[in-house]
Amino acid sequence: MSQIPTPFYCLKDFPNVYEPSEDTHLFLDALEKEQQYIVNKQPLFICEIGSGSGILITALATMLKGHCCCFATDVNPEACKVTKLTAKMNQSIVESVEMNLTNMFRCKFDLIIFNPPYVVTDSDEIGGRGLNRAYAGGMSGREIIDKFLNTLPTILSNSGACYLLLLKENNIDEIKELLQEYGYKNELVIQRKIPGEHLFVYKFFK
Amino acid sequence: MKLLTHNVLTSKCIRGVTVGYPLLIKATNVKVSEVEFKPDFVAKVLPKIEWDVLANAAESLGHWQNLPKELPNNYENDTDFLKKIHRVLLEVEVIQGELICPESGRKFPITNGIANMLLNEDEV
Ligand SMILES: C[S@@+](CC[C@H](N)C(=O)[O-])C[C@H]1O[C@@H](n2cnc3c(N)ncnc32)[C@H](O)[C@@H]1O
Repeated sequence: MSQIPTPFYCLKDFPNVYEPSEDTHLFLDALEKEQQYIVNKQPLFICEIGSGSGILITALATMLKGHCCCFATDVNPEACKVTKLTAKMNQSIVESVEMNLTNMFRCKFDLIIFNPPYVVTDSDEIGGRGLNRAYAGGMSGREIIDKFLNTLPTILSNSGACYLLLLKENNIDEIKELLQEYGYKNELVIQRKIPGEHLFVYKFFK
Repeated sequence: MKLLTHNVLTSKCIRGVTVGYPLLIKATNVKVSEVEFKPDFVAKVLPKIEWDVLANAAESLGHWQNLPKELPNNYENDTDFLKKIHRVLLEVEVIQGELICPESGRKFPITNGIANMLLNEDEV
C-alpha cells in the first residue's frame, strides 16, 4: 500500500506541545506498516490518547478517508488546540477533548493508539498540564502506561486493536503478561534503536 | 464539540455520580460548518448513537430539523434523512458553552470547540 505522508502541523504558537520526534515517527512507520490491516478492519470509533501535535490521529483520519469518528485526548490544553488545528490543516476532522486518558468516554473504540509518557522519572514529575507530561512516566516509566492498561478491557471493543509505544526500560514482558491475563494477544509491529532509547510499537488485540 | 462527541461523553467517573449521562449542554456560540456527506458512513455510525440523547441535544440547540423522535427503520437508503443526521452529528458544533453533569451539577467549559473534561484528583 502507499506511503502515508507525514501530516502538516505548526507548533509556532504552542511552545508547550511535544514536537513530533523519533518516537512519533516510529509510530507513523508502524501505522504505515499496518495500513492494510487497519483499512480492512474498517474501525468506526478511533481514539488517540495524548495526541500532542495531533499528527498520528490525523494520519489515521487521512488513511481512512474520513470514514471513521476520530477522537483525541490530552491533559495539555495547548495540545488539544493544536490537534484540532492539525486535523483541519490536513482536511481531516478530529474531535479533540481535554481529558485524562479516556475516562470521560462511555463508548468503546475499535482502534486506540497511544504514544505515552514513557521516560523513567521521579513520580512527582508527573503533574500539571505542561510539556513535562509528554515524557514523565514515573517509576519504570510505567505510571501512566499502567493506568491506561488497566482500563483497556473497558474501552477497547472486542474486535478492536490497540497500538502502544514502549521503551525497553518499561519491562515489556511484564506488560505482555498483564495483557495476556486480560485475554490480549500481542504482536511487535516495529522497533528502533535511537541514541539512548530502544523503542517498540506493539499491537494488542483479542 | 460536535454532537457526536456529546453523545459519547459521560461524567460517570466523578465520585458519587452513578450514570452521569447525558450531559446537559449550555451553548453561547454554536456554529454549523460544512462537512463532506458520506451517506453509508452515517448509516454505519447511527446504530452506535443514542438516538434520544442526540434528539434532545439537537433540539436544545435548535437544530433538530423536524426529524422523527424515534429512529425509523430502513433508513439506509433514505438520503434526505441521512443528510439531516449528518448535519446534526457532524456539522453542528458548540464553540463556546459548557457541559453540565446531570447529577452533581459539575460544569465542564467548552472553549474554541474543545471541551475541558479534566477532573481534579479529589473529584474521582
Ligand atoms: C510522548 S507525547 C506524544 C505526543 C504525540 N502523540 C506524538 O506522538 O508526537 C505524550 C502525550 O501524552 C499526553 N499525556 C500524558 N499523560 C496523559 C494522560 N493521562 N491523559 C491524556 N494525555 C496524556 C502528553 O501531554 C503528551 O501530549
